[in-house]
Amino acid sequence: MKIFHSIKSAVLRTMNLWKGGLIIWISSFLLVSLLAMPIKGAMNSGFGKSMITEKLVDGLNFEVFADMGTAFKTIMSFFSVGLFMIVLVGFILNAFFTGGVFNRLKGSSGKFSAGEFFSASAKNFWSFLIISLIISLIILVLAFFVIGIPLAIVGQSDNSPEGVLFRTGIIVISIYFLLLTILLLVADYARAFQVTMDKNLCFKAIGFGFSQTFNTFLSSLPLMIILLLVQLSFGWLVLKILPGMRPANGSGVFYMFLLSQMLFFLKIMLKIWRYGSVTSLMEINTLRDNTSEISSESDF
Amino acid sequence: MRKSLLILFVIFVTVTPAKSQIVNKIPLSIRQTGYRIEATLDPSSKTVTGKMDAFWVNKSTDLVPDIQLHLYMNAFRNNKTTMSTESGGLSGYKDADSGWIDIKSFTDRYGKDLTPGMQFISPDDGNLNDLTVLKIVLPQAVKPGDTVFIKVNFVTKLPGKIKRTGYKDDFFFVAQWFPKFGVYESVGMRYSTKGAWNCHQFHANSEFYSNHSVYDVKITVPKEYAVGTGGILISEVTPDVNGKNKILIYRAEDIVDFAWTAWPGYVVYTDQWEHVKITLLLPKERTDQVDRQFKAVKIALEYFARNVGKYPWPYLTIVDPPAKGIGAAGMEYTTIFTSESFTGVPSWYHLPEMVTIHEFGHAYFMGILASNEFEEPWLDEGVNSFWEERIMGQYYGESEGMFDHPWLKIGDKSMSRLSYINSIGRQVVSNNEYSWNYPHGTYGMMSYNKAATWLYTLMGIIGEETTNDVFREYYKKWAFRHPSGNDFVNIVNEVVKQKYGGKFGPDMNWFFSQTLYGTGICDYKVVNFYNNKLYLSDKKVNKTDSLNTIKTGSDSLYKSVVELERAGDVMLPVDVLVHFKNGEGIHESWDGKGRFKDFTYTGASKIEWVKIDPEFKIRMDVNYINNSMTEEPDRVPVRRITDKLISFMQFFISFISL
Ligand SMILES: [Zn+2]
Repeated sequence: MKIFHSIKSAVLRTMNLWKGGLIIWISSFLLVSLLAMPIKGAMNSGFGKSMITEKLVDGLNFEVFADMGTAFKTIMSFFSVGLFMIVLVGFILNAFFTGGVFNRLKGSSGKFSAGEFFSASAKNFWSFLIISLIISLIILVLAFFVIGIPLAIVGQSDNSPEGVLFRTGIIVISIYFLLLTILLLVADYARAFQVTMDKNLCFKAIGFGFSQTFNTFLSSLPLMIILLLVQLSFGWLVLKILPGMRPANGSGVFYMFLLSQMLFFLKIMLKIWRYGSVTSLMEINTLRDNTSEISSESDF
Repeated sequence: MRKSLLILFVIFVTVTPAKSQIVNKIPLSIRQTGYRIEATLDPSSKTVTGKMDAFWVNKSTDLVPDIQLHLYMNAFRNNKTTMSTESGGLSGYKDADSGWIDIKSFTDRYGKDLTPGMQFISPDDGNLNDLTVLKIVLPQAVKPGDTVFIKVNFVTKLPGKIKRTGYKDDFFFVAQWFPKFGVYESVGMRYSTKGAWNCHQFHANSEFYSNHSVYDVKITVPKEYAVGTGGILISEVTPDVNGKNKILIYRAEDIVDFAWTAWPGYVVYTDQWEHVKITLLLPKERTDQVDRQFKAVKIALEYFARNVGKYPWPYLTIVDPPAKGIGAAGMEYTTIFTSESFTGVPSWYHLPEMVTIHEFGHAYFMGILASNEFEEPWLDEGVNSFWEERIMGQYYGESEGMFDHPWLKIGDKSMSRLSYINSIGRQVVSNNEYSWNYPHGTYGMMSYNKAATWLYTLMGIIGEETTNDVFREYYKKWAFRHPSGNDFVNIVNEVVKQKYGGKFGPDMNWFFSQTLYGTGICDYKVVNFYNNKLYLSDKKVNKTDSLNTIKTGSDSLYKSVVELERAGDVMLPVDVLVHFKNGEGIHESWDGKGRFKDFTYTGASKIEWVKIDPEFKIRMDVNYINNSMTEEPDRVPVRRITDKLISFMQFFISFISL
């Protein structure tokens, strides 16, 4: 019941935060445009007045790009360097805005104020950045140990029959997803905890994240699994819709653009909803814990 | 059980003499060589022990003093062999991985020892550490028409790092495993000006050349092994209920090589296409790919039969090696070939189909039409890739034959063209080079991709049906013989002349001198076009070498000019399509010889766009972007791609940040 209560309460909190979602959406759009717009320009100048773009009507055609020769290689190297930078900045920006988001998701309500949102983002920034970095690092290292090493061992072993690699892959990836779920809980609890503190206490927050995750494991894990399943289905839906769209005229492209941005906005809101659900569950659990703590303290 | 063995042996040596017919009713080739081999696989020592009787017939008018044989397996002997040094010293080489063939005895048919005349030679590079060519000076020179019989006992150790041939644990692919005659080329054959053995060393980047032969091969392997070969199974005997081996006897006729594989892990499927019984061996985890493999090979059988000539054997064996035997994948031995795949290969990735169609195609291009792959790899790999790409295009999609995923589509022929046009070495050497002489790692790009791309270009010029006629004629004239590149060019010249008369000149040599024998690139481009409004005083018709379209009764007249340029060295005839704003189009032909070409028109309508080679027939053109020009290019696809890029990055960043 706690789970559904959290999810329901989070829906309301998320809806109240649509302006926050909007801020995140705009910043993300501006950020990636920094890379996408020069690439668009380079493509247009690469194609010049050619009609070769006819061949792109049915989708990406590598022959067309390869005919650009060195121009294409320049675009690709610009893109790969640019993507790295954009991802890095995006990661930092995300750490920044989640500060404001988690702050707004706290039990208290009230009208959304951009000022409050940004000041909470700024206040929690360092703590959130470190939490994000540490948990991301753990996720990466886990990928190496849980997926990389077993697959490398199985792949190297000459005696393992055909298909073992495939099956091992499925098993280790399942294990990895379970661990990922747990780590996301830790990260969310840590951040939900941090915004209740006056100071940046990232390590304490991570500690809290772990203890909260395992103390309330039986409610936290199913909650997170439900949340992730919803997000996964949404991701699946997006993959089904967007990549296959190939509008041929200007207005079609514009509608596709609107749709993709709407879907992305929804993605942001779904994530906020995840943060909200975890926050709400934490509040339910800690409230109960505090009362039990108080009562146990009173025994002494 | 001994008795049955004896009977078997009697059958083996008496019933199947080299000239008898078992596979086909009549011999397909002149059978200048033949082999009878008893081979025993020892899985623990990774060796094949062989007893071989073989013959070579002197079909020339020469007195031939020696015979020459390939001992291919010696290329794996150490890291000083020619193959090893050419491939960078076999990285991670260990002695246990080495492969070799040891001659235990070598006599004539009467048991006379021939070893005193034995000597290793290195005709290509003089490398004394390379023992892949054995020359035996015979006690008496072989007179024209005479036959040399030899009896050889040998032990072949398979290499531990599979490169076409070798082993991994209990998986064996046994190829290039027995002493094999070179090809004696008499005067007039291919490029020979005097009779000589054509017996090259084993190179890193070369495959093989040999006569069509008969093979009787008796293979002894442990009972639990499934075996696939390039022959048909004549009999299978397990001599002893408690014995651990079984004996398999195979017969093959008119093929250029005999290879086989043994592995306990294979499951075996069979299917039928017209007269051909198809056997497929693959790991049991890949049973979901059985249909894909059979479908692909049947498509290829059908396509080749229709457009080139008959597949003459009543059987065919496909091997899809397991992951540990991947080094054996993608290789052809005419009636047996290896595909390439992996467990769970998605249905949109047509790698298994492509490799199967390619390797099957080699049954024609060097199996039936046994060209010299050492010396003219393009005639084998290039021609075969051209056919593979045509089949993949026709049956799996011109633009999605290789990858057919909603997000990414790539055609097989595109991959080939891209590999050529994007290679920095595309002009470093011509297509007419010995396999091992391609510099800067250009062997694959040149022999497969450039050759396939200019063959497509040839088809663009002479048309698809004429191209098929060329190959039908090539088959008719050269099947079960040894054509050279020159012989192929001559066939093209003949057929094109028959079809088109003098339309392309006295012959097509101008094409081959630029593509096959030349290093130039082809690049035609639209430099500019413009429309000038004519004022009354200018209103006179401009007579140029091009068409004039004059519209009367309209208010204004335009002088429109198209400026074209040949930016590359290669000169090919190209079509030009000039499109006017009123919807009219004019097709022009340009012989493509000049450095530039202008077309001028006077008429009521302005030019809207211009395309050189609008149907992309000239696939050699290294840049299609400059082939067309319009006043208002369609920017929508670029916008679409940019928008998708934006949302991809947004989702990606959101996905990786917690
Ligand atoms: Zn090939």
